[in-house]
Amino acid sequence: MDHLMQMVLLMLEGTEVTLEIFVVTFILVLPLGLFAALGRLSSLRLLNRALELYIWIMRGTPLMLQLLFVYFALPMVGIKLPDIAAALLAFTLNYTAYFAEIFRAGIQAVPKGQYEAAHMLGLSKVQTMWRVVIPQMIRNVLPPMSNETINLVKDTSLIYILAMNDLLRVARTIVQREFDMTPFVVAAVFYLVMTAVLTWGFHRLEAHFGRYAM
Amino acid sequence: MEEMVMTDAAFAADAAAADAAMQELRLPMVTMRGIQKSYGGKPVLKDINLRVFAGDVLAILGPSGSGKSTLLRCLCHLESIDDGYIGVLGQTYAGEDDIGGVSYVAGEAERQILGHMGMVFQQFNLFPHMTVFENLMLAPVHVKHIPRDEAEATAIAMLRKVGLEEHRDKYPGQLSGGQQQRVAIARALCMHPDIMLFDEPTSALDPELTGEVLRTMRQLADENMTMLVVTHEMPFAHDVANKIMFMADGVVVESGSPEEFFEHPQQERTKAFLQSRL
Ligand SMILES: Nc1ncnc2c1ncn2[C@@H]1O[C@H](COP(=O)(O)OP(=O)(O)OP(=O)(O)O)[C@@H](O)[C@H]1O
Ligand SMILES: [Mg+2]
Repeated sequence: MDHLMQMVLLMLEGTEVTLEIFVVTFILVLPLGLFAALGRLSSLRLLNRALELYIWIMRGTPLMLQLLFVYFALPMVGIKLPDIAAALLAFTLNYTAYFAEIFRAGIQAVPKGQYEAAHMLGLSKVQTMWRVVIPQMIRNVLPPMSNETINLVKDTSLIYILAMNDLLRVARTIVQREFDMTPFVVAAVFYLVMTAVLTWGFHRLEAHFGRYAM
Repeated sequence: MEEMVMTDAAFAADAAAADAAMQELRLPMVTMRGIQKSYGGKPVLKDINLRVFAGDVLAILGPSGSGKSTLLRCLCHLESIDDGYIGVLGQTYAGEDDIGGVSYVAGEAERQILGHMGMVFQQFNLFPHMTVFENLMLAPVHVKHIPRDEAEATAIAMLRKVGLEEHRDKYPGQLSGGQQQRVAIARALCMHPDIMLFDEPTSALDPELTGEVLRTMRQLADENMTMLVVTHEMPFAHDVANKIMFMADGVVVESGSPEEFFEHPQQERTKAFLQSRL
């Protein structure tokens, strides 16, 4: 029993690293993704094209490769980041691209008539976005956002290859040391708890933002 | 003594002259001159001219695709004209610019001119994530910066006017189409416009719900609101409008008073159109 307790405590420490990557990435990705989406929708051609290229690269290559690039390739050109910063950079760059596409679709789903009504009432562009379009976008993006957020939790396990002691790596270390499969089961339970909490949270948000009919 | 007795003809001429004089005195609310507009090389408005005076109710009629919506939308810069002049309450809204093109005034000047106009859309275009009351309060508070209590008083008065004060805390999606359209009218009125534009305000409604919206519009006309109404409701045009404009293929085919237009149409196209609407 004591042994199990000790194992769980070790794994909770690993979970802390996992959660840190998840929470920081998630918080950064929300505004960055929104700005990238607005940039994609803007009429500034250069910005538009640059973001298109960025999103294409980020979504078209494996996150694992991007992680390795930031971690191993950047130091070769003299950019040496602390481990955690390297991981956060790779995750943020990657997930910003996905969230940008989700936000873009969410904004485009807001009918043209909403902009026209705002124009007639004299709302500025910023007011139109902030008070009319984005609140309706939030409702549109919650379901796909929920999926991507759960993917992010699971993708944090990729930092395993960067020799950071996240939940999965701690589990594997114990398994190798003790020839006992229990840590994998415990890790699975931990991941399930995290994704269950997120699923519940997103359901609450969907209920809140879905209170009005379209 | 003899000069005081006028013949009928002289009297009529005199009355017409007086009318014309009155027209001159009345404020031109909307002036559109030589309006041209194409979509991808296809002309949709070909040299449209119109003037609307204070208190006028102009009904714009015409077959589908004749350019009625485009005309109304150009007037409030939801679309841009290619050529011509638009004046609103004596101020230039669109006209020749410094670089030889035609453009609308921008920024604060545009917001100020738009403030004279309220628009009611076929699809209502209420903000679905806001309650009825929030829909009415948004622009007065955040565009006109009217104190909240004052804006609230106006919103309540306008809701009462359209008969929906008990629905103030509902979302648009909880209302019938007719109720939504009346909220849309109230929302426009909360900005105290001088001119109301309507683009087929009842076309998206079930037939049994058009009456309540038309009644609200009729009430506005009775209160001397200046109105431009694109509509297929012939009885409304006949009874409420004081001017009819009939468009086809981007030109004004015929215009006049409802009596002239409905009782004595001059153009073959007008006659055919009226026949088809019987
Ligand atoms: N955004 C647009 N792009 C291209 N063509 C357009 C656009 N809007 C309107 N048109 C075309 O312009 C012409 C006039 O359209 P408009 O909507 O002004 O007609 P309307 O008189 O309002 O017709 P309806 O009674 O069907 O509403 C039509 O041929 C239409 O196809
Ligand atoms: Mg139309």
